[in-house]
Amino acid sequence: MTHIVEDTLVRRARREAALALAIWLVACVYSVTFCYLNGYERTVDSLTFVLWFPDWVFWGIVVPWSICILLSLPFAYRLMGDEPLGEAVDSEEPPASDEHEVQHA
Amino acid sequence: MPETVTQLSVGYGPIIMLLAMMGFSVWLGTQAQKAVERGGFMQGYFLGNRGLGAWALALTATVQSGGTFMGFPSLVYTHGWIVALWIGSYMVVPITGFAVLGKRFAQLSRRTGAITVPDLFDARYGDQRVGLVASLAILGFLTFLMIAQFKAGALVMKLTWPGTETMALIETATADAAQHAYDTRYLIGLGVFALTVVGYTLIGGFLASVWTDMFQSVLMLIGVVLLFVLIVPYVSRDGMDQPTLKAVAATGDAYAFGPGFSTTGLAFLPLGAAVSFFFTWPIGGVGTPAGMVRLMACKDTPTIRRSIVLLSFYNGLIYLPLIVICICGRALMPGGFAPDEIVPRLAIWAAPDVPGGSLVSGLILAAPFGAVMATVSTFLVVIASGVVRDIYQRFLRPHAESNEIRWVTYGVMVLLGVIGVVANINPVQFLQKLVVFSTSATASTFVAPALMLAYWRRATAAGSLAGMLGGATMVLSLFTAGPLVEGKPMFEPYQLLGLDPIVWGLAVSSALSVSVSLITSPPPDELVAKLFDAPPSVRAATQS
Repeated sequence: MTHIVEDTLVRRARREAALALAIWLVACVYSVTFCYLNGYERTVDSLTFVLWFPDWVFWGIVVPWSICILLSLPFAYRLMGDEPLGEAVDSEEPPASDEHEVQHA
Repeated sequence: MPETVTQLSVGYGPIIMLLAMMGFSVWLGTQAQKAVERGGFMQGYFLGNRGLGAWALALTATVQSGGTFMGFPSLVYTHGWIVALWIGSYMVVPITGFAVLGKRFAQLSRRTGAITVPDLFDARYGDQRVGLVASLAILGFLTFLMIAQFKAGALVMKLTWPGTETMALIETATADAAQHAYDTRYLIGLGVFALTVVGYTLIGGFLASVWTDMFQSVLMLIGVVLLFVLIVPYVSRDGMDQPTLKAVAATGDAYAFGPGFSTTGLAFLPLGAAVSFFFTWPIGGVGTPAGMVRLMACKDTPTIRRSIVLLSFYNGLIYLPLIVICICGRALMPGGFAPDEIVPRLAIWAAPDVPGGSLVSGLILAAPFGAVMATVSTFLVVIASGVVRDIYQRFLRPHAESNEIRWVTYGVMVLLGVIGVVANINPVQFLQKLVVFSTSATASTFVAPALMLAYWRRATAAGSLAGMLGGATMVLSLFTAGPLVEGKPMFEPYQLLGLDPIVWGLAVSSALSVSVSLITSPPPDELVAKLFDAPPSVRAATQS
């Protein structure tokens, strides 16, 4: 039985992609839910402000956006790793589809 | 500063800045040409010798087109604070745009020698049909979008002409601009714009496109900072709540809340649309062919990591202040002009008291113009590479000499420029809607097959084909059903269950990609091993 040794970059990149999509999902659920519950169908009498922003914009968009900016630092410098990308093969001609190569292998 | 603006006078500042920007772009093209010539023509001209650094990658890979950049302030001005939620998903675009596919696309393009996105699909799936469908999708969806951008560039040139009284950047709601679309200034603007963009792109290829894109991104940041400093403190001098309260007084309570202020009776951002735009920007950005090419061209993995941080800060500095600026714009100028004019009006309103005010206005106005130039340049490279690499070289002349490829490339770019000009003598419509349509269509075509390409060993050529064709068909069907079934205007889609077409396109594409892959024969082990497994030396070390 052949033992598969998947490239380190593939494994790490897959994990990082899953994490990125998880962050996207959390941001989507939080922002849309918060803004929908607090920012729709209100009157201006009930409105408060944080800096220039209506309360629901500040807590629903500005705060998570700021968290994402800060999160980018540990995401990029702690969670993501570095791996060699490898040498590029000569690409002046289109890479051959491996169809024939594989069939004859 | 005047309290309101009824008549704006356009001096020489804007046209001087535009001409300076065009001259600088051509100079960048010549510098790019020198860098291109250090390697082979194909790698250099279409991929910048795989040497993009963090700044170039961060500021050019996911930033939206000129149309979107110009349309966004207009949306804030028109609909109010709800546009913060419409654009809110940009908070995660840097992470999704680079971390989802970045490393693998950079690695796979090196392992396979791929230069274009269809190259990569072809090599990964071992089937030329996949590359061909990818190529045709890129040509189809991007060509229309590129042509539409020519009009925006021509209009900016026309409207910044000294003495012009009406200023609007794009065609929507610019009745006066539309009435005079055929006039001499427009045609001169169209010609000069096309010559400049095609010229510098032709000279420097991919790098020229990237460097000018980066330049305009910096210019945009400067423009936003200047506008913020000049306008926001003035409007909020009596309190930070004043911009919103004044804008609400001029419109209505809906301006401060969802689903947004509207004069047409149609809700701008109901719940389904809010969810949809969290797909459109972050997930659509992942599936943009122009973005994928930039990932393939990045230098190394530290570049990708640094780009995430740089773009995170850049997006935060651009979009949040721009929302506040445009709310202040509504407070200052309650109406009476086309919403697309808001940024130029604010630029000219704010600058007179500043030393060199006309040039400051010009600097701010040059930013969106640069965005249009960069967008057209990007599309020129991607489309030309599709024609030359994926069709001419792959199917017609596989062993063509470098010089022949070079001249064919130049010919294709000139041809695209001519098509852009001819198509816009009678200007195309729906620029903003075309941006959303094109983003939805390309995302639905490419995202699922690209994810499988990068991470799923079991993915097959048939699955990828089914995903691409299914996603594209779904989006096209919904955009066709809008006018046909509901009598909506062109490019207004049918929103099934309140969700935009991109959500359904991605769902159909993902379902088809996975299910068809599972019911077709697995790809050859040799092909998968070559693209997923550690190099033989590492494997040997592990097994010993």
